[in-house]
Amino acid sequence: MARNKFDIDEKLESEFSFKHFKKAMKYVRSYKWKMLLSLVLSIFASVVSLIGPMITEHVLDVSVINKNMTEVVVLSLVYIASILTMIFLVTLRSRIMTKVGQGIIFDMRQDLYDHLQKLPFSYYDDRPHGKILVRVVQYINNVSDMLSNGIITFVMEILNLFFIGIFMFILDARLAWFVVAGLPVLTVIIFVIKPQQRRAWQDISNKNSNMNAYLHESINGVKITQIFTRQEKNYQIFATQCNNVRKAWMRAVYTGNILGVSVPMISRIVTSMIYIGGILWLTPAVTFGTIMGMTSYAQRFWQPISSLANIYNNFINTIAYLERIFETLDEPVRIADAPDAVELPEIKGDVEFRNVVFSYDESKIILNDVSFKVKAGESVALVGPTGAGKSTIVNLLSRFYDLNSGQILVDGYDISKVTLHSLRSQMGIMLQDSFIFSGTVDYNIRYGKQDATEEEIIAASDAVHVSEFVKEMKDGYQTELNERGSRLSQGQKQLLSFARTLISNPKILVLDEATSSIDTKTEVYVQEGIAKLLEGRTSFIIAHRLSTIRGCDKIMYIDNQNIVEAGTHQELMAKKGAYYALYTARSH
Amino acid sequence: MLQIKWVWKNLKGMRAQFITGIALSLVYALMSIINPHLSSLIVDNVIVGTVNEAGETVRNMDYLVPVALSMIGVTFAMQVANYFGIVLSDTAGQGFIYNMRKRLYQNMQNQEMSFFDLYRTGDLMTRLTGDLDMVRHAIAYIFRQLLVCVVLFLSGSIAAFVINPRFAVCLVIVTPIIFLLSSTYFKKIRPCYVQVRNSLSDLNTCAQENIEGNRVIKAFASEKFENDQFRAKNKAFYDINLETNLVWLKFYPYIEFFAQYMSIAILFAGGIFLIKGWMTAGELSAFSMLTWTISDPLRTLGVLLNDFQRFFASTDKIMEVYYQCPTIQNKDDGLILDKDFEGHIRFEDVTFRFKGETVLENVTFDIEPGQTVAIMGETGSGKTTLINLLERFYDVKEGRITMDGINVKRWNLQSLRSKFGVATQDIFLFSDTVEGNIAYGGDFISMEQVKKSSETAQVDFIGRLPNGYDTIIGERGVGLSGGQRQRIALARALAIKPRILVLDDTTSAVDMETEELIQRGLNSLDFPCTKIIIAQRISSVKNADKIIVLRNKHVEEIGTHSELLANKGYYYEINCIQNGSDEDGEEADYGQK
Repeated sequence: MARNKFDIDEKLESEFSFKHFKKAMKYVRSYKWKMLLSLVLSIFASVVSLIGPMITEHVLDVSVINKNMTEVVVLSLVYIASILTMIFLVTLRSRIMTKVGQGIIFDMRQDLYDHLQKLPFSYYDDRPHGKILVRVVQYINNVSDMLSNGIITFVMEILNLFFIGIFMFILDARLAWFVVAGLPVLTVIIFVIKPQQRRAWQDISNKNSNMNAYLHESINGVKITQIFTRQEKNYQIFATQCNNVRKAWMRAVYTGNILGVSVPMISRIVTSMIYIGGILWLTPAVTFGTIMGMTSYAQRFWQPISSLANIYNNFINTIAYLERIFETLDEPVRIADAPDAVELPEIKGDVEFRNVVFSYDESKIILNDVSFKVKAGESVALVGPTGAGKSTIVNLLSRFYDLNSGQILVDGYDISKVTLHSLRSQMGIMLQDSFIFSGTVDYNIRYGKQDATEEEIIAASDAVHVSEFVKEMKDGYQTELNERGSRLSQGQKQLLSFARTLISNPKILVLDEATSSIDTKTEVYVQEGIAKLLEGRTSFIIAHRLSTIRGCDKIMYIDNQNIVEAGTHQELMAKKGAYYALYTARSH
Repeated sequence: MLQIKWVWKNLKGMRAQFITGIALSLVYALMSIINPHLSSLIVDNVIVGTVNEAGETVRNMDYLVPVALSMIGVTFAMQVANYFGIVLSDTAGQGFIYNMRKRLYQNMQNQEMSFFDLYRTGDLMTRLTGDLDMVRHAIAYIFRQLLVCVVLFLSGSIAAFVINPRFAVCLVIVTPIIFLLSSTYFKKIRPCYVQVRNSLSDLNTCAQENIEGNRVIKAFASEKFENDQFRAKNKAFYDINLETNLVWLKFYPYIEFFAQYMSIAILFAGGIFLIKGWMTAGELSAFSMLTWTISDPLRTLGVLLNDFQRFFASTDKIMEVYYQCPTIQNKDDGLILDKDFEGHIRFEDVTFRFKGETVLENVTFDIEPGQTVAIMGETGSGKTTLINLLERFYDVKEGRITMDGINVKRWNLQSLRSKFGVATQDIFLFSDTVEGNIAYGGDFISMEQVKKSSETAQVDFIGRLPNGYDTIIGERGVGLSGGQRQRIALARALAIKPRILVLDDTTSAVDMETEELIQRGLNSLDFPCTKIIIAQRISSVKNADKIIVLRNKHVEEIGTHSELLANKGYYYEINCIQNGSDEDGEEADYGQK
């Protein structure tokens, strides 16, 4: 069962830590040479930028006094050259860093996506899908700037700070202490607001995720909402969600900007203190030139700090997103290929369950010591009350879940010791929920076999009577369907997913309530159509319609965590047990 | 500019904050001219000193402390203005998206199904999240920044002209070039940002469907295929972002150069002007203090241009949804279905076409209040469409559907739909508790009612769920089996005590014993209720007062179970197939209960 819904904040498994930082650096590392080059370019650019003010000073103080026109012209040209160089360096750096920034998001997003593909059903069942989606798209977009330009700016500003600090102390250590004295104040401010800021950004991420989740299911479930005319209530709920986002955001704005405005204030106080302190308290030891120089340094010293404060703010909001991204990346892949997994060769379709014990969570056993054998080519019907574990049996066969104990063998191979792909690609599983992808009819059928020829597609469609309704569509197989498949009736969707399963040419076919919405007559045709195709294939059928069940080679009645009865229709009818009761209840 | 007008129109209620925010930011920007002047006061009077009549240099220490302190005061005032400027702008931005998001949501909720065929979930999500956020950014930052830039630039230029017009001309002479460059860039970059925006939406849509279809993907072991597909989308997003940035980097050197031109002009023209005696040294230092007010706005311009195009691209997407109107609307004078409502349903010669295909043709039938009517028919024969038409999810153009003798189009939409309890075929449950899902139909539904409906719908597995009614079930109810989901959907429909209960293939995945129990429960509901049952199983329909058989888009047979059997038509055939009366010789008991 799900752990989370739209209005519950997700608990953070682990706060941002050094471990996460190292992981983030993994993405940065692939671009380390490009970043290093950018850093060098930036250093050059800032060195070149020092030329301008020096030239200006010289022109105004020397050339103008000497009325040396040529020098003015020449130095102006040098200045222009320095500006051009700087622009060139900055442009080059931006070109490189654009690639780095985009590259980091690309890599991280792809990793996240790849990882999501490996996560079990339970991951998707546990939380609203909108909360997963928001991580793949929005969160990733939000972290790229910090991990690319943020790092370069950070290093640059630290370097700036370092060099200006040295110059300051060389010029006059006493006055330099005035400048540096502002730092502890800033530190205190950071310590005071940091926890608030952290919480505010985590809150934004949570509330935003909740809002996304609600929006997502509101769109998907809009028809139910309209049927139950619940728009007003939903609107209220959504408004609350939106308001929560707004409140969290504003809290971050209130606290985050405190840092932004305190840096210039401290910087100004420091400068004023240099004037006052330098002139009143330290006279005559400090020359006026020193005071002038020191005030200018003070400003240059606090500028990088201001920029660092900015980076710090971004860092705080970035980690709120990063910790969520890494949480997903850390989500364990429960069902993976065993290290020594072998490729399952082309199978015949013998299936054996040996003492299978299974529970979704530790508390409740679903199947207890289930054993049975099915020979290749046999068809098996699973019957029994809802929730008895019929679907579980077929889910286990495809290894969507791992067993608590026991073994499942296909052609004598333990399925936990073969690769997932080689196992599942030889099985055709038709689920209760016939999900249709947006794309054409052709795309949806081809989903079962990417390289299918047109003939194969038509053959599969004919066999399950898909071609009948496709023919009536204006664009035939090229008709665009959408995810909700609203052009198709439920029965048509089932037929379509039938075709897509069939075309994958499975050796073992699983039909889980796959035909429940198909009318009886069509179902008969479909069964006739696929009978030939099914020859020599093992099939497991879960259905409630007795006409479907009766024709199977073997019927297993599942209840109380195990197989209660097994045999052919005739055998079970003669037995007058659970199946007999079921069958007669149906007919009378 | 249409976009800006639209934002302004919808900024109602937030305009005071918005304007005050901008005003405070302007105050902040303009005040930044004060401190350099104050510090030059200190330099001139205290550090350098003034020369008195006697020719001595006098340092006026009286200036020092008050001026130094006023500098702190000015900075303090500036930062306060800055802080509240930011906070108010953000308040306006958040206020705007809060209102807009709610409105878009409400608008979306009332759209008809064809709207959702047109806009995919991931795309709608992008509009209500990323795009809105871009508008927020525009209100909180871009507009404010642009105004600050314009005001700074104009006041700087005016001041420059006042001080020395000739030199001022030298300074601002390049601005037309910058504007020309900018406007060229502005036009050129637009399609890029439109593409960036579309690419983001593609990415969202692709990821969204993948998450939704995770079971099918695993069943087909097509993770690799999906990864490749996503990779292509991810790459497209990467490429278009890169391309957009490169276009910017092509223009950036020129824009930056001309912005830097100011400092060159100070140096070159200033040097010449001084040598020629066309201006004084004091004037020049005043100019160098002014240059940033002229050059900074020009440098920021580039960034703002990018933001503006992004804003336009996003706003277009939002406005598109904002102005979408459902064609099925409430008439202002729509009749309210009240207590006198009886529930007599009539289809009169209804023909319905959808996207050029005929779905129903000349369908006519009656349903009396309190009757149980079953609808059977081939896959795709239009059974669900009948219900959709009755509830006005689509409007009929030919023929008419009446409720109590009045065309359904004349009834108030909400009051019409609220009379129905529908358990749909494609079951969608919400990521809420079992109770929340069953009580979805309204606040008036008590826990007692939830339990009662659950009993009727045979939601007997509640006891086996870890937290009973408080167990959270996933979206689409994926934690539950098909039959369990169907029963919750049925309970949800029953909980509102509907006057008309519609079961659209609701028990197809329920085992037969349970179905029997459900039918028994439905026969003894404690409220008056017309039942419309769409089903494939004979056992689900045989006790109905009337069975309508749809085939080939039209009504093929109407009658009771025994009448239709006697008819020896489609229904009879189905009955034979399902009951296998020919095989086991155990002729089903057709007697009515």
